[in-house]
Amino acid sequence: MKLLEITNLTKTFGGLTANDNISFAVDSAEILGLIGPNGAGKTTLFNCISGHLPITSGRIVFDGADITALSSYATARRGMARTFQVYAAAGDLTVLENVMVGCFMHTRRRSQAERRARRIVAQFNLTPMADSQVRQLPVAAQKRVTMATAIGTRPKLLLLDEVAAGLNPSEINEITDFINHIHHQMGISVILIEHVMALVMNISRRVVVLNYGQKIAEGRPDEIIKNPNVIQAYLGRRYAAAQEG
Amino acid sequence: MEALKHAVDFSDFKRIDLTVAGALMIFFIVFPITSHSSFAMSTMIQFFMFSLYGMGWNTIGGYGGQVDLGKAQYVGIGAYTTAVMLVRWDTPFWVSMPIGVLLSVSWSFIIGYPLFRLKGHYFAIATIATSLVLKDLFEVWNFVGAARGLEISPIDFQPPDFIHLIFKHDVYYYYVILAFFIIGLLYMNWFRKSRLGFQLRAIKDNEAVAASLGINVHWAKIKTYAIATAFVSVVGSFHACYIKNIEPEDTMSLDISILIALMAMLGGAGSLWGPIIGAGILIPIKSYLKEWLGGMAGLAGIDIIIYALIIMIISAKEPRGVWGIIEKWRQRRGQN
Repeated sequence: MKLLEITNLTKTFGGLTANDNISFAVDSAEILGLIGPNGAGKTTLFNCISGHLPITSGRIVFDGADITALSSYATARRGMARTFQVYAAAGDLTVLENVMVGCFMHTRRRSQAERRARRIVAQFNLTPMADSQVRQLPVAAQKRVTMATAIGTRPKLLLLDEVAAGLNPSEINEITDFINHIHHQMGISVILIEHVMALVMNISRRVVVLNYGQKIAEGRPDEIIKNPNVIQAYLGRRYAAAQEG
Repeated sequence: MEALKHAVDFSDFKRIDLTVAGALMIFFIVFPITSHSSFAMSTMIQFFMFSLYGMGWNTIGGYGGQVDLGKAQYVGIGAYTTAVMLVRWDTPFWVSMPIGVLLSVSWSFIIGYPLFRLKGHYFAIATIATSLVLKDLFEVWNFVGAARGLEISPIDFQPPDFIHLIFKHDVYYYYVILAFFIIGLLYMNWFRKSRLGFQLRAIKDNEAVAASLGINVHWAKIKTYAIATAFVSVVGSFHACYIKNIEPEDTMSLDISILIALMAMLGGAGSLWGPIIGAGILIPIKSYLKEWLGGMAGLAGIDIIIYALIIMIISAKEPRGVWGIIEKWRQRRGQN
């Protein structure tokens, strides 16, 4: 079953083509990696899929419905959640309150939102800092808050934009466990923009590679790391050699 | 039921805050019984009125972070609806006040829809503009008395008329506005914990993130603007009965819009007590300055200078106002 189907998506900003005729699909219950050099159009693609930006042409079908023209709050209500690369963390909201905002998507009742938020906060190991303001937390915890808040909306598909950026190796292991948990325990599909190859190649079932706005490759991680186009555009010979060796 | 429970639940505040609030509430209730001047009485009534204006402003301006400098237009719509209906058709306050709210809220939807496509300073300026346009309109509209305004001249002051809210003694007005004040405070206590309250804080923080959490940002702002408007309109209706002589200049001028926003910001935008603290500081200053200095030639307008000074100090020292200073101080003390 296809959960998300993108057909010939193009996004231009004036004369600049950020996404050029991109097509791919995400199955339900799959983790898809989205990689490529800086400026390849990965975040723009996220913005287009989630409705933060209107697309120039193409078609997006999510969960059986055409969502091409929907704006971001409407796609969120249909079950598509996302995190942001630069998360200007909630001014005066605490961790719990932040997650509650997500939970309020499905209930008007505060007690219900709070109960669910507390559960999610516990799942993400955030209980000790539930009443701290988000901006006062270390980066790794902030990233977990953004994921927890997104999970609060009960998504079917979660778009993660560089959740491992700026983390140390043990924190990356931890966030990998959380993504696996979201995927396996909660049954949520994930699209993952990531530069940390150890993470992407480890947990993605398939990987899509963008370069200069175009899709240059798509396939299983072990196919992608051998793909000469990808090696030339992004991974580099040294990475490929290290994988071979 | 749950809403009512949240409205009366202040348990997330410190005990000292609740003690102070309780003591003040007792003071408010017994104040008319104690000896006082009519000047003090009218200052207190103004304090309650402006607290309520500030509470309304605080929804969209404080929690939502959309600086609104056009609240006076809704004071005007409320006041004029009640005054016109009373003078022309002898309509009871309890009928004209809801109609005023209905008209104000309708107008707020009409201008809110395009206005909230603007952000930041552009939004603030646009709210000023709409308010000034409406004031100019009222100044040439003969049906509502044009620039001369409307005078409510009661035929008989006795007995106290609770239907039309026309009283000879201010003490009745005092208790009516105190009742509104308490209702307003309970509403705000519910509002800050409601879904919309949470969504607004998320919007203030980052609109793109808020939208990604399923919040229709534009609609949430318009809804909140309507709530703020309803608050202001109710007090505007009260203002008409209390002052009994309304004209565009003193109900809808820019001064009033700015004073409303200023008070909430001074006390602490986005906090429950902020508008009340702000009104408690500024209204006595305003009254005394008017009484003592305003009469002297050459000193007229000094109140504006003082407001300007206050707003400069606040924005430089602590944008979260007096309540922000208190919270910061507590945090520091808590760490030591």
